Order: sequence, then C-alpha cells, then structure tokens
Amino acid sequence: MHPLIQKYKLDSIFLPLVAIVITCVFWYAIAGKSVVTEKVDDFGDKVKITKREGLSADLPTPVETWTASKPYIVEPFAKRGELDQGILRFTWMSLVLVAQGYLIALVIGTPVGFFLGLSKQFTKAFDPIIQVLRPVSPLAWLPLGMILFSGVKIVNADGRTTFGASDAAALFTIAICAMWPTVMNTAVGVRAVPVDYLNVAKVLKLSKWKTLWKVLVPATLPYMFTGFRLSLGIAWLVIVAVEMLTGRPGVGGFLWQQYNANSYAHIILCILTIGVIGYVLDRLMSVVEGRFKTA
Amino acid sequence: MPLIEIKGASKGYGHNGSRSEVLKNINLSVEEGEFVVIVGYSGSGKSTLINLISGLVKPDAGEALIEGRKITEPGPDRGLVFQNYSLLPWLTVEENIALAVDEVFKEWTPKQRKEHVAKHIAMVKLSHAAHKLPKELSGGMRQRVSVARTLAMNPKVLLMDEPLSALDALTRATLQDEISEIWQSNKTTVIWITNDPDEAILVADKVIPLLPTAPATLGEPMLIDLERPRDRRSINHDPKFKKLRTQLITTLLDAKGRTKSKATMKLTLPDILPEDITNKNALPFLNRGGPKRRNADKREEVEVTA
Repeated sequence: MHPLIQKYKLDSIFLPLVAIVITCVFWYAIAGKSVVTEKVDDFGDKVKITKREGLSADLPTPVETWTASKPYIVEPFAKRGELDQGILRFTWMSLVLVAQGYLIALVIGTPVGFFLGLSKQFTKAFDPIIQVLRPVSPLAWLPLGMILFSGVKIVNADGRTTFGASDAAALFTIAICAMWPTVMNTAVGVRAVPVDYLNVAKVLKLSKWKTLWKVLVPATLPYMFTGFRLSLGIAWLVIVAVEMLTGRPGVGGFLWQQYNANSYAHIILCILTIGVIGYVLDRLMSVVEGRFKTA
Repeated sequence: MPLIEIKGASKGYGHNGSRSEVLKNINLSVEEGEFVVIVGYSGSGKSTLINLISGLVKPDAGEALIEGRKITEPGPDRGLVFQNYSLLPWLTVEENIALAVDEVFKEWTPKQRKEHVAKHIAMVKLSHAAHKLPKELSGGMRQRVSVARTLAMNPKVLLMDEPLSALDALTRATLQDEISEIWQSNKTTVIWITNDPDEAILVADKVIPLLPTAPATLGEPMLIDLERPRDRRSINHDPKFKKLRTQLITTLLDAKGRTKSKATMKLTLPDILPEDITNKNALPFLNRGGPKRRNADKREEVEVTA
C-alpha cells in the first residue's frame, strides 16, 4: 500500500469509498436510462418519444435518485403536506413509534427474562410457547393486533382520533417482535450469574428484594444490554412493515406510498435512510452496552 | 460447650447408581477462640466440610451445631471467606464491605456503620484503595478485602475455604502473617482449610488432617504448641516445627497410600496410516488410496498409585 495512505490511516476512508464507487457503477450499469428518439407520427408531426432502456428499465440511476431526493435531503424537516415531508421528519415519526414500542418490549421482556432465568418450572412451562411465538413475522402479528385492540379509540377535543386501533396494533407488533432478544438474553444472563455471588448474598442473608437489586441485576446487566441492542435492531426492522400495513406517515409509510406513486427514486432514498438510522442506533447502543461491561 | 460441633456427619453427591460419598462420619469440635486448620488433598471434600458449617451444604446424616443450635442455613454469624474472593465487581472496596455491614448492623446509625467499614479497611491496610473497583486490585489485595468484609460482620467464627490458594507464594506468605496478626489481636475463632501442610502448621493452634480415604474422614488432631508470633525464617530450623511437619505429611501420605485406586485409561494412537504411493495408475484421481485410518484403539489397564 502507498506509504501516504498508511501514514494518515486513509485506508479506512479510502477503501470504503472505493467500494461505494464500485457499487454505484454496478448500480448505474443495471439501471434504466432514458433514451429520447424523434419520430414522425401519422400526421407528419415530429414527436419526441422518451423510452427507458436497460437491464432494469424502471430502476433510476444514481444521478436520477439524487436529483429526485434532493428536496427531501436538503430540507430534511420541511413539511409540504401530510405525505410530502422532509426525510428526517418522517424518520422522526418512525423513531417516536419505535421508541414507544421498544419501551413496552423492555418493560415486559426484562421481567419475563428474569422469571425464566430464576425459575426452572417457569422455564419449563413457558419455553414452548416462547419458542413458537418467537419466529413469527411482524406481518402476521399486525392483523392480530388490529383485532385485539379494535375497541381502542382516544378522541381529542376536536373529535379527531389521536390514538386508534391501528396505533395500538402498531405498538403491539413492535413490542412483541422486539421483546424476544431481551427475554432470551436476560434469562441467559440470570442463569450465568456466578454461584459465588449468590452465596455471598446467602451468607449475608440479604432479602430476596435486595439480592435482586444488589446482586442479580448488576450481574445480569451486560447480558441485558446485549438483548436491548438486538431488540432495538428488530424494532427498527419491524417499523417499516408496520407503517406499510397501517399507512401511518413515517419512513416505511413514505416508502410504500412512493412505490404506489411510481417515484422509485424515493424508495432508494428511504432504504438508505432506514439503513443509516439503523446503523446509528446500533452504534449508540453498543456504546451504552460497553459502559456496563463489568469485570 | 464447644462453639462449633459436627457430630457423625456424612455427605455424598448424586443419586442412586452414580452416587459418590464425599465425607463419612465426621466429628469435629472447635472451642471459642481456637485457630483450627484442616489440611487435605485437593478434591478430598474440604470445601464440603466447611460448607457444612457455613450452612451452604446440609449433611445427609448427623448434624452440625453452632453454640448447640443446629445449623440449617447460612448466616452472618459464620463469616465465610471464599477461595476466589467473590467480591462484587461492580462495587468498590468500600461498597463491598458496606453491603455486608449495612445488612448485619441495621440498627446502627449511618455514621457508625461508615466508621466500622473504614476501620476494617484500615485493618487490612487498604485505606488508599477504598474507592477502587476489585478489577483494579491485585489478587492479594482482593483477598484482603474479602477478609475485611467477613470480619466486618463480627462473625462468631471465621471460615476460610482455601483463602490463599489462588495467590503466588510470596503474597501468600505475607497474607498468612497478616491474617495471623489480625487473629492475635481480636481472637475470633477461625476454621481454615488448606492443602498446604506448612501453611497449616505456621498459622494454626490445632491441625486436623482430612484423610483421603473414600469417603474422607478426619484424622487425629495435632496440637501446634509453637510460640507466637511465629517467624517464618527461623521456624524452618525449629526441630519442633520439623517434627510436626513430618508427622503431618506422613499421616496424609499413609492414608493416601492405603487407598490404591485402579483406573482404566484409553490410549489413543495416531489413527492414520501413510498413503501407499507404490501403486501408480494412469488415472490417479480415480484410484487414490489416500491416508488410511487405523481405527483401532488399544486399551490398557494402568495401575495408578500414590
């Protein structure tokens, strides 16, 4: 490698850039290009006919994607209409929903994990149910949520529904899908608490409550945070499906709506946004996770 | 009345079929203020024996008593020092000790408890490290914290389960001296378990060998009437020390010698034979012998003694 690159550690910037360029070239190669042909029609008039040609004729090229996405990126918080807003505004809506569902997942998942880790009987009783429910797709949960919460309707002073069945179903879906990594990791963490720590608690005759908070929870925290991080990843995965199905405004909703509106460039914009935000969330969580690593 | 008494206790693990008896017919009595060391081979049931007293293990037969009452569960009157320190890694030295003190002396004022903690940290000479986490301390320092935590509970008896076996020889020597110093100043009853006969004679009033018969039994107690404080440099030349040590080691070795055991061992030979390359063929890839598996284990019976 060139010494200059080595000196400034440019390879960590340079090599990814090379990969990005290669991907874009490949993308451009398979994308459709507009070809304009002039033709004389039946009345003798000259008309321009634009046709898209290429391996995947409808796929916009990188440049077209950028031109079409520009207004959403340069004004990320603009609100031009209910379904035409800056990309970060949509992202924010999705994040709020994810945060709510994720919190519910943690609040339910962590205690369930503790019960699973602490009691063999509890594990034996509930493990089959958990193992069966765990792999179910968010797309399958959402209709069930709709049925479960069909009666939910919170109306504000103007008579508009602020929280309806679809909102409840969305939260339900995110929570139940995102819960499992937290449940499983917490259970494993509790089982992995060294016997010596528990013996210390026994010798000191700590009460059950104190043993939980002074010994079990701190000893399990690293595992719990691994679970929390995986759960957040899943919550963010689920959001797109949920928004598509319920038609809520958000990144996923925007994506689906733009597909229906034939503006394919915006789909790519949404995918990239979802990816970047997911990556950022994961990094943030792993920083927090690193803080709680004990010994 | 002795402080600690074990009467005819036996303990085994496992269920019918794969059950192994660890301890059989253990009788032990420890008077208040005594420093008793139990010496035995690794894996001979020493930890099980001390856990009978700590209450973490219940005897199958017989009983363990403290001040005439039956021991049914662990409690702070029997302070246990663990072999691997068992400090909670997310608490500092001070907090680890405070956890014990706050639990045992609930009726004290916060100020009293704080002073009590500080006193015990000073006792093991760790005042400078009071706010450090266990991972920032060396092994010897961690075990000192563990001793301080246990002593801070003001236990009636201090149970030490191979407290120094995870330390290097020099740190070990320092800690042996420190712990016997602490014992001399407050005369808490100590039951110490070790696999090192020298350590036993150096610190103890009374040494009891745990004989490695299967299941293990306690041997005759030996009184160590050496002057305190014992200086480890000169004691090596003390004829009394030498005699006691020979006696102790002989007792342990004799007991081991009586329990000859036979073991079957599977000796695995390299399971491969070289490829035969004399066979040349026009289409070698069709007819390649390749290395061959010998696929035969040779079984041998080996008698293991000592």
